[in-house]
Amino acid sequence: MRGVYAVGIGITSFTRLEYPLSEIAAYPAMMALRDAGIRKVDHVLVANMGAGRVNHQTGLASAVVDTLSLTPAGADLIENGPASGASAIKHGFAAVASGLSDVVLVTGAERMREINNLEATDFVATLTHPIAEYVYGVTLPSLAAMFTRLYMEKYGVTSRHLAMVAVKNHANALLNEFAHLHQPITIEGILDSPEAMTNNPFVSEPLRFFDCCPVSDGGACVILASKDVAVKTGRPLVRLAGVGQATDTHCVHEREEPTDLLAVRRAAAKAFEMAGLGPSDVNVAELHDAFTILEIAESEEVGFFKKGQGHLALERGETALTGRLPINPSGGLKGKGHPVGATGVGQAHEIVHQLRGEAGKRQVGGARVGFTCNFGGFGNNVVCLVFVREN
Amino acid sequence: MEREIYGYRCRKCGQLHYPYRMVCRKCGENAHNEFDAEPLPREGTLLTYTELSSLPTVYEVQTLLLGIVELSNGIRITGQLRVAKPKIGMKVRGEVGVVRSETYDDYHGMIFREA
Repeated sequence: MRGVYAVGIGITSFTRLEYPLSEIAAYPAMMALRDAGIRKVDHVLVANMGAGRVNHQTGLASAVVDTLSLTPAGADLIENGPASGASAIKHGFAAVASGLSDVVLVTGAERMREINNLEATDFVATLTHPIAEYVYGVTLPSLAAMFTRLYMEKYGVTSRHLAMVAVKNHANALLNEFAHLHQPITIEGILDSPEAMTNNPFVSEPLRFFDCCPVSDGGACVILASKDVAVKTGRPLVRLAGVGQATDTHCVHEREEPTDLLAVRRAAAKAFEMAGLGPSDVNVAELHDAFTILEIAESEEVGFFKKGQGHLALERGETALTGRLPINPSGGLKGKGHPVGATGVGQAHEIVHQLRGEAGKRQVGGARVGFTCNFGGFGNNVVCLVFVREN
Repeated sequence: MEREIYGYRCRKCGQLHYPYRMVCRKCGENAHNEFDAEPLPREGTLLTYTELSSLPTVYEVQTLLLGIVELSNGIRITGQLRVAKPKIGMKVRGEVGVVRSETYDDYHGMIFREA
């Protein structure tokens, strides 16, 4: 296999965007092409979940490749729910590593604010099992809530720990000009004060409003290329050193140990094995905190902390921007936003940004190894990536 | 005839599945229709639950109680709860009823009450 490098990155604000989905995908791609100083692309991969259902547009990749005037390059749409982004990066990796392509442009985009919040929740709920989950009214927040309750019982995680994740990621998002939520919050305001139940009502008990990510529009792009191309760009060399993917049962109730996220554990192990590195080598990570509990659980499953001890590391400030292992310096899905198909590419964008040392106020000093975890369904399809700064 | 929710037993190794899948998860048997459908038991224990306040638009109630129940034969199922005070470990009994109503269709599923 050839080495694969992230040579260009671009991103839109994650917020409500009033322009067409194909442009939300194309704009970060233009930025990434400029960033890399590249004009020729062999293949375009577009990551998206809802174009057909939410935006009434199919064949999105064909629209995007032409919007970018990159025809006759190949173009495919990759849909893997909220893990579409990292899935597309994985396919781009395979294409460059195998020699099939020298330059693959991976762009993720979603426009979910075209529908209201409840419709968006229902759209994402179509990921669940049609007759054994969806039909009962099951949504992603409700699956996360039932998981949270078990985690609380078993490991002593409390609402306060969940709120600490939200406070940390909102604070990080304040340092990210592209983040959706620029809203400082405090434990007092969302948990302890008399107004807390109004400020922060239950969405699906025990999960509250500030335990859930916002519904965002947005796009992000990473261009992957061979070493020859990467060296010519003159940009810092960031290698995509490991990719790993694993699946789990479609129905959450079929999992033997309901507090395990086996797909996260296995995807991370595969990515680390390919990279020849381990969790203790990581300097900065972007985890899929669509719900605050997931940042805690994933930080354990990927191997940063022992099972059941993620919330203790959080308490000690180890995952804060100034801590030993900053998690979600971008603000994560919680603060930066979650345009589902774009999220995995957005995570990779942040890690490349960090490893280049270009992240400004939220820069993690001296970061050489970065990690992302992109979580599809309720943990039934997970893709993890390991990036390494080489020069 | 009373409605039932079915589990699917592999004819080769006897593994019971819920919901239906086409290839046995245990033995990998993949001949077509090699499963026998059997009604799931109704008695079970509540494993976890939530009160969902942000409901899909088709529901005309304020909140919905959802839970995962381990049935007496060890099979787990997601269902709706109609109990006053849900508690992990409580004994429940299921009945099949309407769990989702859309304009032209009613969908049936397991609804659990305190046993």
